[in-house]
Amino acid sequence: MAINYQRNTAHFDGVVGVDEAEALLEWLQKHPKGKLALSACTHLHAANLQVLMASKASISVWPQDEILRAWLKSALVP
Amino acid sequence: MNPLLEQFISEARDFLQGIAEKLMQLETDPGSAELMKELFRLVHTLKGSSGLFEFPEMTRVLHAGEDLLDSVREGHVAYSEALADQLLNAMDFVSLLMDEIESTGNINAKHADNSARLAKALRLLMGDSCAGTSAEAPPAAPLPENQDLSRAARLIALHEIPENLRMQLYLDVLAGTPLSLVEYTPEDDCFFKGEDPFFLIQQIPETVWGKIVAQQSWPPLAELDVYRCQLVFRALTTVEPLVLSELFRYIPEQVHVVAVPASALALPQGDKNGGPVYDDFEGKKSDTQSFQNIVQSQRAILELPDNDAWLTGRLQSVATTLTACLRAIGKSNALPELEAALTAALSTSKAAPLLSWLDDYLPESPGNSHHNDKKNATSGQSMPDRCDPQPSAAEASTIIETSAPEAEPRFGRRAEDNYSSARTLKVDQFKVDRLMNLIGEMVVAKNSLPYLASRAETQYGVRELSREIKAQYAVVNRIAEEMQDAIMQIRMMPVSFIFQRFPRLVRDTSRKLGKEVNLELEGEETEADKNIVEALADPLIHILRNSLDHGIELPEQRRAAGKPAVGRLSIRASQDSDRVVIEIADDGKGIDPDIIKRKAYEKGLIDEAALERITDQEAVNLVFAAGFSTATMVSDLSGRGVGMDVVRSAVEKAGGVVALSSEKGNGTLIRMSLPLSMAVTNVMIVESNNQVFGIPMESVVETVRVARSAVRSIKRRLTAVLRDRIVPLLSLNELLALNQAQRINDDDEMAVMVVRVHDDLIGIIVDDFRETVDIILKPMSGILGGLSGYAGSALLGDGSVLMVLNFKELV
Repeated sequence: MAINYQRNTAHFDGVVGVDEAEALLEWLQKHPKGKLALSACTHLHAANLQVLMASKASISVWPQDEILRAWLKSALVP
Repeated sequence: MNPLLEQFISEARDFLQGIAEKLMQLETDPGSAELMKELFRLVHTLKGSSGLFEFPEMTRVLHAGEDLLDSVREGHVAYSEALADQLLNAMDFVSLLMDEIESTGNINAKHADNSARLAKALRLLMGDSCAGTSAEAPPAAPLPENQDLSRAARLIALHEIPENLRMQLYLDVLAGTPLSLVEYTPEDDCFFKGEDPFFLIQQIPETVWGKIVAQQSWPPLAELDVYRCQLVFRALTTVEPLVLSELFRYIPEQVHVVAVPASALALPQGDKNGGPVYDDFEGKKSDTQSFQNIVQSQRAILELPDNDAWLTGRLQSVATTLTACLRAIGKSNALPELEAALTAALSTSKAAPLLSWLDDYLPESPGNSHHNDKKNATSGQSMPDRCDPQPSAAEASTIIETSAPEAEPRFGRRAEDNYSSARTLKVDQFKVDRLMNLIGEMVVAKNSLPYLASRAETQYGVRELSREIKAQYAVVNRIAEEMQDAIMQIRMMPVSFIFQRFPRLVRDTSRKLGKEVNLELEGEETEADKNIVEALADPLIHILRNSLDHGIELPEQRRAAGKPAVGRLSIRASQDSDRVVIEIADDGKGIDPDIIKRKAYEKGLIDEAALERITDQEAVNLVFAAGFSTATMVSDLSGRGVGMDVVRSAVEKAGGVVALSSEKGNGTLIRMSLPLSMAVTNVMIVESNNQVFGIPMESVVETVRVARSAVRSIKRRLTAVLRDRIVPLLSLNELLALNQAQRINDDDEMAVMVVRVHDDLIGIIVDDFRETVDIILKPMSGILGGLSGYAGSALLGDGSVLMVLNFKELV
């Protein structure tokens, strides 16, 4: 499982594929204050990115991967 | 280049030719449905074949053309000259790509832009007249390169870039680094095509800045369709634009790449009150040039005569300007030296220190060094002269400005343009065959010269003339031989022509049989005459099937036998002097000679005595006997009794021989040897009953004189012992039903030609041996075609006809 949902935090791990987007959206709808821990994430599919952008979810830990982090910040940090 | 591609190129050229022709015909007859249908078919086929290769640029344009023609065919769009123009232009582009493929084997990604534009233009034609149903019509912005549009897009992005990064980029661009703004708007349904735009954008190398935004504001989460892409990606990169085209070559229509000039990076801030200043930023002049001009002006000022009251003021002003310039280009570290130079200049009241500093740090470009010569000219050097845009500055600015392609690209190939000559000709085989026949006649005609020479000498007694004829003959002979060789080369083709279908064949067959086989091909480039190569195809397929079916075992059997589970099948072609040799080897279970012997005996192919006598090697070659099959079960692959005998006869028909060797448990090797060309046959001429006959050299083993006393008759057959073997002797006259005894020479010896027929040696008694000659063998045709005893006929140099015997049928 590329996304590990815990009580109020979703942990992203490795490559998060396109199939995860729907579940992520559902989870974010149920947990509007949910936090996202991306430290172990190496890539996420654009569909997931859309969900993050649309939901304005709060990222608790940014990815370690520098390029990914920079791109994500460009999209998610206002 | 692989043969498939070569074929595609030559076919595609025909198609392009055809398309152009049809378009021309349509000009005169625009209403013809027949022509339009034909045109559509051509474009459709060409598109289809281009899809076999990785040429998205070509396929895209052709696809658009096909769609357009389809709607014309259906009557949705009317044919117009503009449409024909656009199509011709598109075909010119395809032709250009074809040239590139031919020379480099690939399409440079730089064509992606043009391809997208052409495709768009074609689709636009379709959309325009497509009343109402413009589902496929693109949005009304046909020219993505429209300067204003892209500039606007660029400026939106620019103020999002952090200030310090922008300054750095500004300086880099001034220094000549290419900077491109990429705006990538993926299609809505791109996720369903398996694309991941976020991944793709991250693949851009040397990204200095990036930003992802939504196309419109996000709907509430409950209404969000996660699988409809609404993202826009922007990135600034210093990578070469070519790399970008390569990266986005499949989706050029979704990507805008704009080269960013330095001026675009200087973002005007504050209000526009300072009109002229603002103009400097927005103005047409590039900063490189302005900078150069400033430095030039300072130089001019410094070069004014020093004995002037205003010198001090001038020096300070120049120093201030230069300081500002240095700061602007980020070379603040040079400031102390400038200060020092200024102090020196002020103290000596001379401009020289500042000038030399200027020469050190901002040397004049070579283009205007002539100004230095006038450095000490007393006065009157006017400043405007100095301010002329310098050549180097002008160059620098053009480099930056030449980013947008021409508004309407042309791809050459108009009637008046020069054609790049095609390197391959497609010639009807009939024409080559005609050449071949002609050279054959030429060889014959040439061969009559020696006869003429000898007649000149013996009959007319002109020895001098005879010698000259012979000398001329040598020249003609050499040319004819070279010509023959050249024509032969035309007909040569590599065996890869048939080899290339084997991997698939082996794969499919082994799959069907549940076997694992590794096919190794070697020497595919070996060349042989087209007829030979074609004649090889069927026998080879047969042998391969046999090897797979009977030779290579099932994986578990192989493991049990201590062999790797994956069988090995190798096909090796090589050239051996004037023959092409093909070896097919497998590491399967081989052929058991005992089984072969028993089978052959059961089928009555050999008798009991032979069963005991024949060697294992001879036994395995029994598989070539007609009607022989070892497979107990008839499968759809082999085992129908039409087997190796068919292979053998096919190979022999092409003048080849086939041999098999096998080791039980270790595999089988089949070796075929064929002449490189069937055109020239080397025959030996023999005499019998005052006629001459030819015998192909490949079947001749030796020629001997046998004393009549050495000939014994066994059961009314003549035999002789030659080299410890009993050789049956047959009289040629008898074989040809000529009622005449063979002539015997003065020493009471018979002329015996030992020939190999299949694997037996047979002695043919003839009257006398003559020389060997190269002839062009013509197969018998018409009524004579039924005479199987003759392989064909040939013309001899003296004009007589030589009949070439075919012992395989005759004996």
